[in-house]
Amino acid sequence: MKYQSQAVAKYYFIAAIALFVGQILFGLIMGLQYVMGDFLFPEIPFNVARMVHTNLLIVWLLFGFMGSAYYLVPEEAETELFSPKLALIMFWVFLAAGVLTILGYLMVPYATLADITGNSLLPTMGREFLEQPTITKIGIVVVALAFLFNIGMTALKGRKTVITLVLLIGLLGLAVFFLFSFYNPINLVKDKFYWWWVVHLWVEGVWELILGAILAFVLIKTTGVDREVIEKWLYIIIAMSLITGIIGTGHHYYWIGTPRYWQWWGSIFSAMEPIPFFMMTIFAFNMVNQRRRNHPNQAAVLWALGTSVMAFLGAGVWGFMHTLAPVNYYTHGTQITAAHGHLAFFGAYVMIVLTMISYAMPMLRGREAANSNKSQVVEMWSFWLMTVSMVFITLFLTGAGIAQVYLQRYSDTPQAFMVVQEKLATFYWMREVAGVVFLIGLITYISSFFVGGKEAEEIA
Amino acid sequence: MSQTFTKSMARNIFYGGSLFFFLLFIALSVDTSEAIPKQNAKAIITPQVAMGKRIWEDNDCIGCHTILGEGAYFAPELGNVYKRFGNSTDAIKAFIKSRPKNGIPGRRSMPQFNFNEKQLSAIAAFLKYASEIDTNGWPPNIQG
Amino acid sequence: MPSSYTIERRDYPPGDLAIWIFILAELLVFAIFFATYAFTRSNHVALFNHSQLSLNTNLALINTLALITSSYFVVRAVAAIREDKTRLCIRWLIAAVMMGFIFLVVKIIEYHHHYHNGINLRTNLFFMFYFSLTFFHFMHVILGMVILSAVAIKARQGHYSSTDFTGVETGACYWHMVDIVWLILFPLIYIMK
Repeated sequence: MKYQSQAVAKYYFIAAIALFVGQILFGLIMGLQYVMGDFLFPEIPFNVARMVHTNLLIVWLLFGFMGSAYYLVPEEAETELFSPKLALIMFWVFLAAGVLTILGYLMVPYATLADITGNSLLPTMGREFLEQPTITKIGIVVVALAFLFNIGMTALKGRKTVITLVLLIGLLGLAVFFLFSFYNPINLVKDKFYWWWVVHLWVEGVWELILGAILAFVLIKTTGVDREVIEKWLYIIIAMSLITGIIGTGHHYYWIGTPRYWQWWGSIFSAMEPIPFFMMTIFAFNMVNQRRRNHPNQAAVLWALGTSVMAFLGAGVWGFMHTLAPVNYYTHGTQITAAHGHLAFFGAYVMIVLTMISYAMPMLRGREAANSNKSQVVEMWSFWLMTVSMVFITLFLTGAGIAQVYLQRYSDTPQAFMVVQEKLATFYWMREVAGVVFLIGLITYISSFFVGGKEAEEIA
Repeated sequence: MSQTFTKSMARNIFYGGSLFFFLLFIALSVDTSEAIPKQNAKAIITPQVAMGKRIWEDNDCIGCHTILGEGAYFAPELGNVYKRFGNSTDAIKAFIKSRPKNGIPGRRSMPQFNFNEKQLSAIAAFLKYASEIDTNGWPPNIQG
Repeated sequence: MPSSYTIERRDYPPGDLAIWIFILAELLVFAIFFATYAFTRSNHVALFNHSQLSLNTNLALINTLALITSSYFVVRAVAAIREDKTRLCIRWLIAAVMMGFIFLVVKIIEYHHHYHNGINLRTNLFFMFYFSLTFFHFMHVILGMVILSAVAIKARQGHYSSTDFTGVETGACYWHMVDIVWLILFPLIYIMK
């Protein structure tokens, strides 16, 4: 750690991992509810478990992004953080808002939560992933602004690098597009149309900039490859992300009451969305092959390579699978979507945050560059456990999805939704088993922070 | 040849390309905004529908169901439920009203929300409205 | 035409490699659009032929000539900079951009005409393609004009010479691509029966 103020990142990373655990526990509850419909009913209905699961994911990824930025920007800008105090205050504000919101979901019925937070004044609640009370949304905006100010001022007073710039553009985009979550017209079609300006333009737009910037940073640090080369790659990758991803939004506008032309625009451009992810894979492996030194933190290198591959598989391949309008006609809103969602979020965004934590945490905890060999071995085990089990979750959900599409949509005698769901029980059970393995992987991951602490640091 | 491919070139492609496609996206979105009311002229928004949408949101129905294919995949599609229930708002109201308070042993069940008659009518009106949206022929069949 | 540049054999392809990657990517997208157009047309020949009648072929012909002329101007601009005639190069570039303006104005007249008659992107399948393809190309013309203008400004600042004219060639390549796409678009949408 070169700058004292980078230390604030540690708070963000620890909170991220803690919330990650919560996310997985609720994922397992939901998984069980898929096969044991009355599990925890009516105390924790499925929709509550689901919003806890998805909202925790979003919140902990945001913690991860912010922590990454607080670690990365001072090092890139070669200066202390503009205000470490502001970063800490915002940490506690964001954590309190996040925890209170999750408790609100769990303690009172959602309608009561909507009522006591004054949703009728500015109704924004009750839409997928944007379930947070309006006041929490305003809190998120405040935290994001303070964060951007802090990071922006740091970048301004120091060295300006491409990585910082791209990260800042990504984070700024994240904040700007979130503002569309406050627009909730009665017209359901318009509601959905602009809802995607938050959801799609986040995960298939500006978040890819954040992903690219963090990946580029870790690769520069761990491979020692010339910055010029890495930055050129970064520009090309994010250019392709936005060139394909912006019009690619159209693949959500096939069947929601919007004009037919989106089927053409959306199909053509979203079919190209795997390209930037493929370039990212080539990029990561190329840089590691051309490395000028062997960094002692091999776990971080593994995470970085893993991110590039899994993002390509999850976001690229699994996205492409159902993105063309004639295919999507049958797969829209089935378990295929769930399969894609799981692998894409894990492969792209969960793994990039874990990559950054893996790289930064040893330094944040006072080591020179890397953890002991023992600790790294445990961490690599957790990498494989989580990655492989997530691949299996995806495969089982894909199997369920294909069966669902056939039975409910494609066969000559389409069957009712609930009838089909019963027939998919085997897939759901196997998914739950894979989910338990994922939890074991996560426990292994956390334990890697507590083993081999006293042993000597790994040296290359 | 690779040295002619400079970083500034890559940067220009990023800025130029992003701006270009964002402007194109805005242009298409403007056209879509104009088109949505015309395409969905049959789906009329009444105050009752508006009330129904708020109730739909305040109870996070989308946390289990899909509507026009978006939402959770735990419970049936509701974009066409009005048609699936024989074009009857009464059938929708009766279904919501009849949900057992403590669920059904071993099975998925919708919670009992204890809506009053006015709220039930509003939700049914909203779902009827949703079924009248022109979705370019989706879903493939009545099962959603 | 001066012959001084025929003797040297420079790097091939001309211009920057990045612009070629970019051009290939662009051509790929247009190719997909053209292919889907052709495929859809084969299933709706009557509709396409009927709708085609309301297009103004004369205006499109003017635009074709405008773009071909502008491409010629761009060729002259490259030739000029190879002889260190910077001011001449700038003049040819400005002339090319002017032809681009003519294209835009004529195209807007066409669009206005359609709009006036209540025809738009959603009228039918043919017009969906007509507007999508021509508008996508329209935006490329604007981008091409921006690139040529940027090249002209850099030329004015003295960035180019007979030994360093990659920038001019790069801009020229892009402009030719925009022209070529129109040369495919024009017969495909306006003429083909």
